[in-house]
Amino acid sequence: MEIFLQLLISGIATGSIYALAAVGFALLWQTAGAINFAQGEFMMVASFIILGIIHLLGVGVLPAFIIALPIVMFLLGFVFKRVLVDPLLKAGDFSLVIATVGLGIFLREGFRLIAGAFPLPFPKLVPDTVFNIGGALISANEIAILVMSLIVIAALQWFLNRTFIGRCMEATAQNTDVARILGIDVDRMILYTFMLNAVLVTVAGMLITPTYSAKFSNGEIFGQVAFMAAIVGGFNQVRGALIGGFLIGVLDNMMAFYISTQYRTALPLLLLIIVILFKPEGLFGRREERRI
Amino acid sequence: MHDIILSTEGLVAGYGQTTILNGTTLSVRKAALTTVIGPNGAGKSTFFKTLFGMLPVRAGKIIFNGENIAGQKPLGLLGKGMAYVPQGRNIFPSLTVEHNLEFGGISLNNLPETRQRMEAVYKQFPILKTRAKAQAGTLSGGEQKMLEIGRAMLLEPKLLLIDEPSIGLSPIMAQQAFDLLLKLRDNGVTILLIEQNAKKALAISDYGIVLQQGRLALDGTADSVLNHPEIGHLFLGGAVQVSNQ
Repeated sequence: MEIFLQLLISGIATGSIYALAAVGFALLWQTAGAINFAQGEFMMVASFIILGIIHLLGVGVLPAFIIALPIVMFLLGFVFKRVLVDPLLKAGDFSLVIATVGLGIFLREGFRLIAGAFPLPFPKLVPDTVFNIGGALISANEIAILVMSLIVIAALQWFLNRTFIGRCMEATAQNTDVARILGIDVDRMILYTFMLNAVLVTVAGMLITPTYSAKFSNGEIFGQVAFMAAIVGGFNQVRGALIGGFLIGVLDNMMAFYISTQYRTALPLLLLIIVILFKPEGLFGRREERRI
Repeated sequence: MHDIILSTEGLVAGYGQTTILNGTTLSVRKAALTTVIGPNGAGKSTFFKTLFGMLPVRAGKIIFNGENIAGQKPLGLLGKGMAYVPQGRNIFPSLTVEHNLEFGGISLNNLPETRQRMEAVYKQFPILKTRAKAQAGTLSGGEQKMLEIGRAMLLEPKLLLIDEPSIGLSPIMAQQAFDLLLKLRDNGVTILLIEQNAKKALAISDYGIVLQQGRLALDGTADSVLNHPEIGHLFLGGAVQVSNQ
């Protein structure tokens, strides 16, 4: 039971990071019709930017994160949209999908050249302490991850539902044509969504990189898992992507312990196949009506 | 006779390589209810989308209240007194009724004033007031249509473009939607209506416009269109048949 609790909590902690990236994925798809297969690499790039700031300015993780935010929002939000998405989306979704796959490879290999192939240590949010909670061993870092991502998720939900700009973004995500008819500045809302996605990957990068150390290839699996979390939960609902992230985090942890670590990367794939076969709109997704 | 509020001259528009509106020239009278009919693919919905700046105008003019508005975006047109309720479902299901309604006031760029106008809409549609905090997706089909129309009326537009409001509604609900349009017309709103049930729509309309292959085929008082031998045979018979299926 203690082990189960321990696995559950650390699974939720990891899952909450997947959830952040998955929500970004889903939001980009909903508002802009863009599928970003470089999402994992975005997280990796953000983590290197944070690391660079830590080394250059000699500050801690949190201040470095705050300084990194506007830089990442500009590069992976604004520039990404203007340079890659805007021209390519006119040619259809598929061109953009291929282009983001290419961008992912470019960023991965680019950072191998810049930062080398060896993992660089990345500081944790809090010092290493392990708490014994009813026999379950929970690290302070896991708690910090969980608290941090829950704060970000709560802030995101608050922003999307309780502020007028957030609701305009939500409306754009749910039905772009109607949003336009009502006079919502759809293009600006789409730009905001790209920036919001950049914020989410930066948080994810800060939270997950201490576990794996900063490495050029960190985004590969992470991006896939985030994508699958979004599909499993429901691509067209923020809530679905969130739950998908948590679900994969927990199941992955349980699988690694109770069955085999060798199969852990297969689990999200298995889940993906089952969901696509039996509930293609995702576990919590909304069925989409398509008119022919 | 009514004055002209909107007219188009040689309007050309379409999607990608396809041209749908092929030199559409017609006019719409102020404070009247005008129904646009025509066979499928005649360009009725495309005509509305083009008027409301959702599709680029390739050639021609759109004169609204004496001004050429061709090429203007929805936001500007809302400010000039035009509103558009497209076909199908146009609400945001996961947002509340109140928050859906609030979007009607985007072009005011003034939240307190929007809230004030929302109260006026609630007076006209009390059901929306009682369901204000509910998710819009939980409303019935008829209530959702009321929400869409109420949202479009928030800015008190001079011209309302409404595409197939009765589609998917029960006969009673459809009748309520028509009654509402008549009431709006009596309050001085110009209404341009596309309706699958052409016979029924013409029966309550002041004027009728017949589109065929993206061009004006016939226009006149609703009675004259309704009683035109060729039109009756071509469209109305077909329309009635379709609606009975």
